[in-house]
Amino acid sequence: MNMIATTTANLLPARLQMAFTLGFHIVLACLGVGMPVLMLAAEWRFLKTGDELWRTLARRWSKAFAVLFAVGAVTGTVLSFELGLLWPEFIGRWGAVIGLPFTLEGFAFFLEAIFAGIYLYGWDRLPKHVHWMTGLPVAISGFLSAFFVVTANSWMNNPTGFRLVDGKLVDVEPIRAMFNVGTGAQTTHMLVAAYLVTGFCVASFYAVRIAKGSGHEYDRRALTLSLLLALPFAPVQAFVGDWSAKVVAKSQPIKLAAMEGLFETQRRAPLHIGGIPDLAARKLNYAIAIPGGLSWLAYGDINAEVKGLNEFPAIDTPPVAVVHFAFQIMVGIGTFMMCVALWCGIVYCKTRAWPRSRFFLWSIVALGPLSILAMETGWVVTEVGRQPWIVHGYMRTTEAVTQAPGVWNLFCATLAIYLVIGVGTVAVLRQLARLPLPEQKHGA
Amino acid sequence: MGPDDLLLIVMLSALTVYALLGGADFGAGVWEFITVLRASDKERQHIYKAIGPVWEANHVWLIFVLVILMNGFPLAFAALSRALWLPLLMALCGIVFRGASFAFRSYGQESYRERKLWEAVFAIASTATPLFLGASAGAVASGKLAITVTGFYEADYLSGWLSPLAVFSGFYMIGLCAFLAAVYLFREADQANDMELVELWRQRSLLTGIGMGGGALGGLILVWLEAPSLTGGFAARGWPLIILSIGCGIGSLIEVWRFRSKRAVGAATGAVAAVIWGWGISQYPAIIPPVITSDVAKAPDNVLWIMLAVILTGAALLLPALGYLFVLFKSRP
Ligand code: HDD
Ligand code: HEM
Ligand code: HEM
Repeated sequence: MNMIATTTANLLPARLQMAFTLGFHIVLACLGVGMPVLMLAAEWRFLKTGDELWRTLARRWSKAFAVLFAVGAVTGTVLSFELGLLWPEFIGRWGAVIGLPFTLEGFAFFLEAIFAGIYLYGWDRLPKHVHWMTGLPVAISGFLSAFFVVTANSWMNNPTGFRLVDGKLVDVEPIRAMFNVGTGAQTTHMLVAAYLVTGFCVASFYAVRIAKGSGHEYDRRALTLSLLLALPFAPVQAFVGDWSAKVVAKSQPIKLAAMEGLFETQRRAPLHIGGIPDLAARKLNYAIAIPGGLSWLAYGDINAEVKGLNEFPAIDTPPVAVVHFAFQIMVGIGTFMMCVALWCGIVYCKTRAWPRSRFFLWSIVALGPLSILAMETGWVVTEVGRQPWIVHGYMRTTEAVTQAPGVWNLFCATLAIYLVIGVGTVAVLRQLARLPLPEQKHGA
Repeated sequence: MGPDDLLLIVMLSALTVYALLGGADFGAGVWEFITVLRASDKERQHIYKAIGPVWEANHVWLIFVLVILMNGFPLAFAALSRALWLPLLMALCGIVFRGASFAFRSYGQESYRERKLWEAVFAIASTATPLFLGASAGAVASGKLAITVTGFYEADYLSGWLSPLAVFSGFYMIGLCAFLAAVYLFREADQANDMELVELWRQRSLLTGIGMGGGALGGLILVWLEAPSLTGGFAARGWPLIILSIGCGIGSLIEVWRFRSKRAVGAATGAVAAVIWGWGISQYPAIIPPVITSDVAKAPDNVLWIMLAVILTGAALLLPALGYLFVLFKSRP
């Protein structure tokens, strides 16, 4: 009795704790995946042209990367402890099935950490080309660690690779578990998101400097390079997101219904834009509906039947409003991103230069924080949309949560600690940004 | 020998490397703490230069131990999380502050006062982390955690890790880290041919080394009083390693005394490694004595074989890279 009481009381703080620490880590993780690509690109330009300014850029970026990497590593360590500390039943029970990607991820981190050490401290010790090459494993293993960890999450959404006989796990196949139906779409979507977030955040930073009047070649090159990373991926992301939605439609129809605020099962289901779900009346108010749009997006046929929330028992329903809003925000930002990218593409084809308007610059400035918001809300869709399950269809989140006392206190302490770390990180990055630039050779 | 035994060997090896390399990194911070941040800039430079490049790599060994435990012995991972959540959280807090303050200290261009602040955070966190990790290890070794075969914990959250043996292990771990750091930095100073620093770290090595020797005796007595099952294991299987450890410990002191830094490092490494293996072998097949044995906690055999295959392949990639890192930054001054 007492045990059950603690469990339910712990659920909310434990979820908040997990969501907050993950949401914090993922930003650093995205930059950890993307920054090495930017550094390597800048250093590659240096190797090709011999222009010292490129080298300065690469070196500065590598310092920022070092700080982000270190903070990413500690916040990641927090997560691996938390899986046990907050969700002991989850790990105790499913660890054997889900552990493989974490082990693989361990190796990826290891490679990343080793080569990050060599790259960061090797600027003056290694021959130029060798130094560039030691950066490659950093970029590759960042990519791999993101891939592996997302397969674990994808398994929580689409559990396979085991059988339950009388409540006991048998025939565990960790490799099948890793490569489940959601893996392809989810990992691709996440990796593209990581490059988008890095590209736009870096671009946003330099766009501010340029908007404020800096005409330094350094800022322009930095902006160009980061936009070259981000812009091509923007349209890609919309297609990958559509792929994700198709997978969700098949494997987690209730999540799709919550995302779209679709209360009744229907053929020719409309695609909703905006709208406020009214749970009491079981309908979606004020939405713009495109008839048949959802059926077409989910199944490629405007007359296909899409399951509504009415098909499922109330205890299996995720919080509809949160999932719906989060989804709308992500898709809205994704669409905006795509438009900016297309506009840029057209202007570039015509004039061989970036658009010159003020509006363009400010869009890029806004897309930095917006890309982070899209990525965070995307995770809210995935994770909150999976509720009340921690392992979809097999274990409820209530069954997994810890029975230790004091989870609220833990959450408050975590907020305070992460505040310090967050402020510290931003402070150090700003100090790095204020370092004086080399004299400009050719006039601005 | 089943796959679970092989995996335990891998895990114990990783734990050993973490204790040695990570431990030395912790120790550098412990010295800052003990000397109340009075170190001169030159001394501190020496420390930061020594840890900088290998810092992240040394930290990953801990992650590695964690994931093997999580994947290979999920029940043990869950049980430890339930029983020792408080000290583990404290250690985690230490890890977070240590990592962050080290990065801020190394890359920030801040004012003198800010830098001092991060140095202080680094020193405190470096001391607190081994304290709590050590206490957790001691709590496991004592064999007194009230864990059931299904991995549930049936006592309150303080008793397990506040037993005399656990508390002792916490403090002993701090000492061990300080000792390792002193000997390793003695070696680095020797390589750099800096006589002033050599003398400083030589004295500190001797001091902590003697302290650790005395402490080890006290520890054995505590084990004998508090942990009968571990005592039995020592008597049956573990004793050669305990003797080896004592031998290496004394050897390292002698080598430090005679200014032979390379050999001193070897002997100190051996002393610490032998303690860990002595402990592991003595409590085998228990992972958390008395009831959580490897048989109870392990994942299905096919999972363990896949893990071993992954680890073998991974090691073939990693070890050369790790070697390169150390050769690059540790073999020349
Ligand atoms: C920069 C970030 C970003 C942008 C612009 C978009 N997304 Fe996204 N989305 C993510 C970042 C993200 C994410 C954070 O990376 C998620 C969370 C889990 C995942 O795999 O990717 C995600 C999840 C996610 C899911 C849920 C997958 C699941 O639960 O398995 C769907 C259906 C979409 N997205 C669809 C879209 C669509 C149709 C977009 C149209 C423009 C879109 N996303 C833009
Ligand atoms: C990095 C991006 C991620 C973010 C931002 C994120 C976000 C969230 C959120 C918002 C919740 C709370 C759900 C709720 O309160 O209703 C949650 C829960 C959880 N997530 Fe994720 N998640 C991420 C990735 C992952 C990954 C990769 C894993 C594991 C492999 C994971 C494991 C969990 C677990 C165990 C819970 C707790 C149980 C639950 O509430 O479902 N998450 N996460
Ligand atoms: C989608 C979600 C995630 C992505 C893309 C991701 C990616 C990364 C990356 C790239 C790093 C390297 C550090 C950096 O570059 O900043 C990192 C660090 C880390 N992450 Fe995550 N991660 C995710 C979620 C998680 C989760 C759920 C866990 C734990 C269960 C976790 C555990 C860790 C650990 C332990 C580290 C530190 C490794 C080290 O010491 O270098 N991560 N993560």
